[in-house]
Amino acid sequence: MQLLNRKYLFSFSCKMRFSKLFYSQLLKLMFYSVLFFVCRQKSKMNVGVAHSEVNPNTRVMNSRGIWLTYALGVGMLHIVLLSIPFFTVPVVWTLTNVIHNFGMYVFMHAVKGTPFETPDQGKARLLTHWEQLDYGVQFTSSRKFFTISPIILYFLASFYTKYDTAHFVINTASLLSVLIPKLPQLHGVRIFGINKY
Amino acid sequence: MASGQQWVLVEMVQAFYEAPAYHLILEGILILWIIRLLFSKTYKLQERSDLTEKEKEELIEEWQPEPLVPLVSKDHPSLNYDVVTGFVSAVSGHISEEMNLPPSHKIIVNGKECVNFASFNFLGLLESERVKLKALSSLKKYGVGTCGPRGFYGTFDVHLELEERLAKFMRTEEAIIYSYGFATIASAIPAYSKRGDIIFVDEAACFSIQKGLQASRSFIKYFKHNDMEDLERLLKEQEIEDQKNPRKAKVIRRFIVIEGLYINTADLCPLPELVKLKYKYKVRIFLEESMSFGVLGEHGRGVTEHFGVNIDDIDLISANMENALASIGGFCCGRSFVIDHQRLSGQGYCFSASLPPMLAAAAIEALNIMEEDPGLFRVLRDKCKHVHKALQGTPGLKVVGEPLAPALHLQLENSSGSRTDDLKLLRAIVDYSLDRQIALTLARYLDKEERFLPPPSIRVVVTVEQTQEEIERAAQCIRQAAEKILK
Repeated sequence: MQLLNRKYLFSFSCKMRFSKLFYSQLLKLMFYSVLFFVCRQKSKMNVGVAHSEVNPNTRVMNSRGIWLTYALGVGMLHIVLLSIPFFTVPVVWTLTNVIHNFGMYVFMHAVKGTPFETPDQGKARLLTHWEQLDYGVQFTSSRKFFTISPIILYFLASFYTKYDTAHFVINTASLLSVLIPKLPQLHGVRIFGINKY
Repeated sequence: MASGQQWVLVEMVQAFYEAPAYHLILEGILILWIIRLLFSKTYKLQERSDLTEKEKEELIEEWQPEPLVPLVSKDHPSLNYDVVTGFVSAVSGHISEEMNLPPSHKIIVNGKECVNFASFNFLGLLESERVKLKALSSLKKYGVGTCGPRGFYGTFDVHLELEERLAKFMRTEEAIIYSYGFATIASAIPAYSKRGDIIFVDEAACFSIQKGLQASRSFIKYFKHNDMEDLERLLKEQEIEDQKNPRKAKVIRRFIVIEGLYINTADLCPLPELVKLKYKYKVRIFLEESMSFGVLGEHGRGVTEHFGVNIDDIDLISANMENALASIGGFCCGRSFVIDHQRLSGQGYCFSASLPPMLAAAAIEALNIMEEDPGLFRVLRDKCKHVHKALQGTPGLKVVGEPLAPALHLQLENSSGSRTDDLKLLRAIVDYSLDRQIALTLARYLDKEERFLPPPSIRVVVTVEQTQEEIERAAQCIRQAAEKILK
């Protein structure tokens, strides 16, 4: 009877906990695939060659392979968090969501300007990376992708946390912090003068 | 890992059915948001145009094309230019041969041999034998051009040597060479000052400074020529604004751009007061020394030596080597921390071919001459004073400039109101002088491009090669011309 139950469970279960051996092999596979995809980037963005792009920040998110790298990077983060033994699965998903959104906020909406000097006499000095993308053109494909990806992550996180209230509050706050700055109405807006100069 | 649970799909789906309503509603809104995003078109943010289609059509119909070549009168000054040839038929020793000599102290204008009172050959290095020999040997060694910018096989040992020598001569840490004098300050200013920064400039700044300011896209504030109160007023206003918005003030940079000896007005800048203002209001000073390098100061180091100001107080000194040093190109000198930035950010340095090594060698030799014989500068200063005194009292013309300045301006005392008429009168004086074998020139400007167009003038240049008697003759000639033409 017990055996039958186990078989029944197996056929419907989706195992989210891996055995040690399987886990280490999967980790290796993910690492090498990330490396492989990153290195074979034949980007539209010409790396290491002379190009006439005044501000490369505007084009980097359109480069070939960067969306995949980004997705794999989020996957890596999730796997690393999963491998910490004392986090439960809902905690891991919430942590993935929060860390991803925090990273996205810091790099896209908090840090301003460029790490290199541009020949346009500092036009983008006061703009965040999100505002610099595609020279301010709204609703381009990379902007859509980076708006939709935290939403997908949020759906996954709320599913795996079983719609728990505490997790809901944290995940929703984190999602809003990353969705609201992406609205076209908030292009160049600095609330209360924070981060203006 | 608590209680070793396995996440069963059935349990998850059950949780989905039992999910709170607000959560599911929020997810529904987010799905709608995704759909809206996927179907929205890309657009630029400032697409609004305040004109309707009809108004646009009206404007297009109204427009009349200007002629490609505007009509110009036959006696426009640019159509009647003076032709300079260097051909001198000379008798050298016992061989009578026609030697081709380039113009220097003597110049042949429109076929007449004249004494040169128009070229900026202050120290007479243009016909120095030593410089010529050095240049010739350098020509044999390196050829003519470098065929590349400094970063792309265009750096020769003469360039590095010239930079070192200039830095040592000016007693700064480092110097950088540009291949074109006009481009020196025009590249240096936009390398440091970007959008949002503030530059305080004198109204009499020369054209290359104006082009540098334009390229920098910064806020430009002009103060009246040599008027330190006006500058202080502007600095105080800026200080008040900075106090209102300290976070913005921390991010913007402030500069003062001045010339040591102004080309357009031939007077000195009050450098000690400027250094005081610099430290009071925390502004950086860029000093343009094209006319004063090799002229002022006991050893020719420029206006800082003349006033006894510590050279480390000036953040950047820029000069062109086309005047006293009788070469081509320009240099900037200052602290290493400042000058090194231009090696990647100076547009004229990175993207222009470097100085031909022949000219760099000539400049080094000129520096040698300057260092060996500091008496030259005293001779030049005495001659300048002499010329200044001799030209005083010319009827109808006033002498604009300091007694120390080697390039003086003669302006009309009573302007007729129209610039073209003034220019015609002055041109008549120049023609009269050319007939009497004194070569003078009108100061030329791009009338439409200059911000503060100076009044028309004749520029009289003093060099060490001019003898006492030539100076007397020139002064006499100008006086006669003024009496005759300007009565």
